[in-house]
Amino acid sequence: MLYSMRLNSAILGYGAYVPKYRISTEEIARMWAGEGSGPNRMKAVASYDEDALTMAYEAASIAMKMANYPEIQAILVGSESKPYAVKPMGSILSDIFGFNKILGVDLEFACKGGTEAVQMISGMITSGVIKYGLAIGSDTAQGRPADDLEYTAASGAGAVVLGQPNGKEIARITHSVTYVTDTPDFWRRPKEHYPMHLGRFTGEPAYFTHIMSSVKLLFEETGFKPSDFNYAIFHQPNPRFPVEVGKRLGFKEEQLKPGLLNDELGNSYSANTLVALSAVLDVSKIGDRILLASFGSGAGSDSFVIEVTSKADDDDYIPLRERLKNYVEIDYATYSKWRNKIIR
Amino acid sequence: MIPIAYWRNRKLYTRLIGSRCKRCGAEYYPPVKVCKKCGSVDLEEKEMPKTGTIISYTKLTEPPVDFKDYSPIYLAMIRLDNGVTVLGQIADAESEEIRIGMRVMATIRKWTEDGQNGIIYYGYKFKII
Amino acid sequence: MSKVYIKSAGLIPVGEHWNKSLTDLMVEASLNALKGQDGVKIDRIVVGNMMSGYLNNQEHLGALLASALGMKGIEALKVEAACGSGGMAVHEGYISVKSGDYENVLVVGVEKMKDADTQVLTKALAMAESADFTQVVGASFISLNALLMRMYMNKYNVQEEFLDYFPVIAHKNAVTAAHSQFKKAFTLEDVKRSPYLAEPIRLLSSAPSSDGAAALLLSSKPSDVEILASEVSTNELMISQRENPLKFEATEKAFKKAVEKAEINPSSVDFLEIHDAFPIVAALSLEAMGYSAEGRAGFDAANGKYNLDGDLPILTFGGLKARGHPVGGTGVYQIVEAYMQLTGTAGKNQVQGAKLGVTQNVGGVDTTSVVHILRKVS
Ligand SMILES: [Zn+2]
Repeated sequence: MLYSMRLNSAILGYGAYVPKYRISTEEIARMWAGEGSGPNRMKAVASYDEDALTMAYEAASIAMKMANYPEIQAILVGSESKPYAVKPMGSILSDIFGFNKILGVDLEFACKGGTEAVQMISGMITSGVIKYGLAIGSDTAQGRPADDLEYTAASGAGAVVLGQPNGKEIARITHSVTYVTDTPDFWRRPKEHYPMHLGRFTGEPAYFTHIMSSVKLLFEETGFKPSDFNYAIFHQPNPRFPVEVGKRLGFKEEQLKPGLLNDELGNSYSANTLVALSAVLDVSKIGDRILLASFGSGAGSDSFVIEVTSKADDDDYIPLRERLKNYVEIDYATYSKWRNKIIR
Repeated sequence: MIPIAYWRNRKLYTRLIGSRCKRCGAEYYPPVKVCKKCGSVDLEEKEMPKTGTIISYTKLTEPPVDFKDYSPIYLAMIRLDNGVTVLGQIADAESEEIRIGMRVMATIRKWTEDGQNGIIYYGYKFKII
Repeated sequence: MSKVYIKSAGLIPVGEHWNKSLTDLMVEASLNALKGQDGVKIDRIVVGNMMSGYLNNQEHLGALLASALGMKGIEALKVEAACGSGGMAVHEGYISVKSGDYENVLVVGVEKMKDADTQVLTKALAMAESADFTQVVGASFISLNALLMRMYMNKYNVQEEFLDYFPVIAHKNAVTAAHSQFKKAFTLEDVKRSPYLAEPIRLLSSAPSSDGAAALLLSSKPSDVEILASEVSTNELMISQRENPLKFEATEKAFKKAVEKAEINPSSVDFLEIHDAFPIVAALSLEAMGYSAEGRAGFDAANGKYNLDGDLPILTFGGLKARGHPVGGTGVYQIVEAYMQLTGTAGKNQVQGAKLGVTQNVGGVDTTSVVHILRKVS
């Protein structure tokens, strides 16, 4: 049987949070290679007092304000860098936002925890179980020092407030499918600080196979083709993969470009595609259609059809790319101190 | 930090829940049981506004032992927009030139944590806007 | 109601007493105070101390000292009011003698700080303000004072260096004080070259941590020095809760009450031992007592008013800054020093013709203020 969800859930608010600090991949390369750089120019680094919870709060605050603080009934947080191995962020955020008679829980599936949250809450809304839910992806991703992943493993959070369509929603999520297999491209055992991966194996058998299978399934289920979409967002582990997978699926570069952020932000794992969604919703127009496909190592991909229905009604909202202009570059020493890489 | 004491006050720390005197309208953070202005004991919970102005600040190079991993820290007195003054840290202050009169907004950051295996204490800090 | 006199006083040098325990410090200071008082029957022991529980794993200092002095059976207790613990212990001794129920009371102020790590000490000192609302945000005691100093500089348009005259005065006086921790004079330049601990407070503008103990034998029997008044007042616990944080209301009130009780004219005071933990505390204290106009204390200090040979000498043995600041001991040291001035035993630090002295000891940032007025009995 096929897992294919015909959905009727509305995006009432969205928000992305990227910490203020960046490290250049030149600076990382200076440490470990003496010269050169990574596939991306920079990556976003959380400050010493930030973690997946605080960033989830920041992103959710933006989304909640845009949605005018509805009565949330479920908070689902996708993350692979939970501050506690045991003790959910969902319940901490429930208290912070002041909703206690709700479902507050965390999800983990490498880089696709955030889209799982969107999919599950959309399902609850479509079925009528809940009216409003908050879906978040947030990570302070860690790459082992000197590992290839260190160039891209970054920090960030993305959130969407979902509800039943009310005519004033920003966008509607109309369909979603998921494709999963047992593929050991990347993993982390309990109590390990850094993940392991199988290098180039993370490409073809993992990233490309899963995203392409998921998106093709979505096309089959909905009848849409690449030209039916104004924008396409694919998970961005590096600057190259999303462009390549888009091309293979038949998308043009201008459909991809508004959501491409890896070059300046790196890969914020569970937040990755939700941060990109914020960037796309900032520029999309009423009537636009967006394809979004995440990828989680292990491995799987969730894909979605999103239709833009109206503009956000929030005078204080500052578009993501505007906010990204205000950043501060740090050196490897500061990065090591803040991200807990110094043994004491 | 004391985990259970933190738990008791968690909403005060993350949402800046203070109190308001039902008789004279005076507002307080932290909340009080007796109004300092009129002596009334009839007070209600009141969430403080999240924006305010820096009225003084300092940079601590030797914070108390629970905060030493985060040193230096930037501490400020903030006059919230309802006139209530609170003490709090300035987040992302490393790159800022802090000045009296700057506008700030409350967010949530880690205050401190009990080592690698203990409780993480989240609470309000202020971001310069 | 009895009158209260200081029958004798004793202290030990302030500093780093690596070889002496908390008990050793108290016992030595007590024995120094009791020298030559063999026939005197002590009725009560009051110990002023702030942090023995946290820093030394020791509470119950009253019984501890009584026992160590071979005085089991005597009534004894510890008094705590943060950095004002010493002054508060003297106040407690004063009211017990004044009540008429006790004839002779031994008051000891002590703090054993140097066994503790600096950051642990920083946490301990922060306990003077709210655990739930000050300590949780990472504030140290020095940072609270730094916030006030910045506010003061901003409000009165005063440069940092004017406030830094206070440590210069303190160190100058400490050079010739036998019991002081730092017998080294500093220039304003030296202070300015030292690093910030919490901007705008620098290493050389903040009181050190110290080991020390001082003791007084109070009595209703007339002797050389009379305590004319001992008054205490409190302010809001947290500086952020004060309407005007730059007004030291506790000091203002305690001083006013003391002046009224003692029936003196504040301008007839010959010297002041103030609580100069940081320059801002010295300045706001002098302004609260009316000796300097608001925003002017630093300028008065720069102009020599508060020098040992000035109009109104302060910190005559170096104050907290240079004599040293063994927290719970400080308030008692101040009064022992006032006793030395009034009995003409201050040596090179003697304020000529001193007849009337004032001490001011605060706990927290003027949260508790203890003011004593002492007079030479003619
Ligand atoms: Zn009231």
